[in-house]
Amino acid sequence: MNASRTHLAILGTMSELHRQPISYDLNCLQKIVADVSPDLLCAEITREDWERGDFAQAALEVREALAPTIASMDIILIPVAPSLKQYRDFTPDAGWRHGVVRNFDRLLRWGQIQADDVKTINGMWFGTFCHTVCWLTEMFWTAKDRVAWETQNQELVENIVRAIQRDSGRRVLVAVQCQRLHRLIPLLHAHHDLFKVVAYQNL
Amino acid sequence: MTVNEITVSVGGSRELDRAGLAALIASLPGLRVVPIDKNPPPQVLVWITSRDTDQYPSVQTDTAILLLTEGAAYESLPETITGLLSRDESPAALGIAIRQVSRGEQYLSPSLVPAILQKRQAKSGLTDSETSIINTLTEREREILEYLAQGLSNKLIASRLYLSVRTVEGHLANIYLRLGVHSRTEAMLMAVRIR
Repeated sequence: MNASRTHLAILGTMSELHRQPISYDLNCLQKIVADVSPDLLCAEITREDWERGDFAQAALEVREALAPTIASMDIILIPVAPSLKQYRDFTPDAGWRHGVVRNFDRLLRWGQIQADDVKTINGMWFGTFCHTVCWLTEMFWTAKDRVAWETQNQELVENIVRAIQRDSGRRVLVAVQCQRLHRLIPLLHAHHDLFKVVAYQNL
Repeated sequence: MTVNEITVSVGGSRELDRAGLAALIASLPGLRVVPIDKNPPPQVLVWITSRDTDQYPSVQTDTAILLLTEGAAYESLPETITGLLSRDESPAALGIAIRQVSRGEQYLSPSLVPAILQKRQAKSGLTDSETSIINTLTEREREILEYLAQGLSNKLIASRLYLSVRTVEGHLANIYLRLGVHSRTEAMLMAVRIR
């Protein structure tokens, strides 16, 4: 591994969609982060909330897994969420589109419950399933929301890129909701001159 | 993926303190508690001091010693002790301190800094040569030196600047080199004089 070049791995998480007691294995997520022990961990919390120590609006995995794990380790959390709005907030309020999106959400939630842990979520089969369902879901959002979602993902990537430019040559783990992955991965690959994207197991 | 666990032993005169601290350390990720007489020796020995004893651990060449202290007697510490951790610190700070001394660096709890600085009467002016050296520091290095003067650990400095701990360590190494100092405490003393 070339030590002077930034290495970046992307880890999909999925607690955000659960509205019932969660089966998703946060211990597994904690163990992966502790084992990988990246220099920088980019996570979905806004800078303002992170600096205030306010986790109320943060994703469950940030609040209950990532923040406690890094507290006693030499891992620095980089807050990269551009806003508080999450994937579920883009669901249309009413009408037939609302019904279709709800059904896709149920399908995704079913898939997540079957997957249950971070390793499966970041595997090929679930990845394909999740990307397809999310891509179809977005088709039924309003045009305005699709643009807002795309903009949010671009801003999130810009925040990641800024962190890497500030501190190049480090091992960076990006932990984001799996619903973003099909948007985020191509955007991050576009910056291949700044960093090399690797699997989290190889970081 | 590699898991490099740091081996840690706990020592001190009170058994209950030792057992409690060992359980706490064992619960922290990446740390493994081993017997004090283990071969090879532990990477870090956390030694609990108490008011009724001034005993310090016997030296093991490759073991970094972190003293868990209430703030007393630091001026009479043997050189082998590389870290001072206040009992007021959080469990997370304990993990950070262990990692820092295991890398051969020094650790000093922020809450102990004021007492140390007062005792050493650090408030004296800079010489001309020191001033010219300070002027050669980069903006980032000055920023880090300022945080050092506030007694922040490497992890806290890194968190404030959104840099990795390794990057902060690199800046600190440059700062020590430029200032001609050999320890964190010396750099802190100079940083306080600059403020």
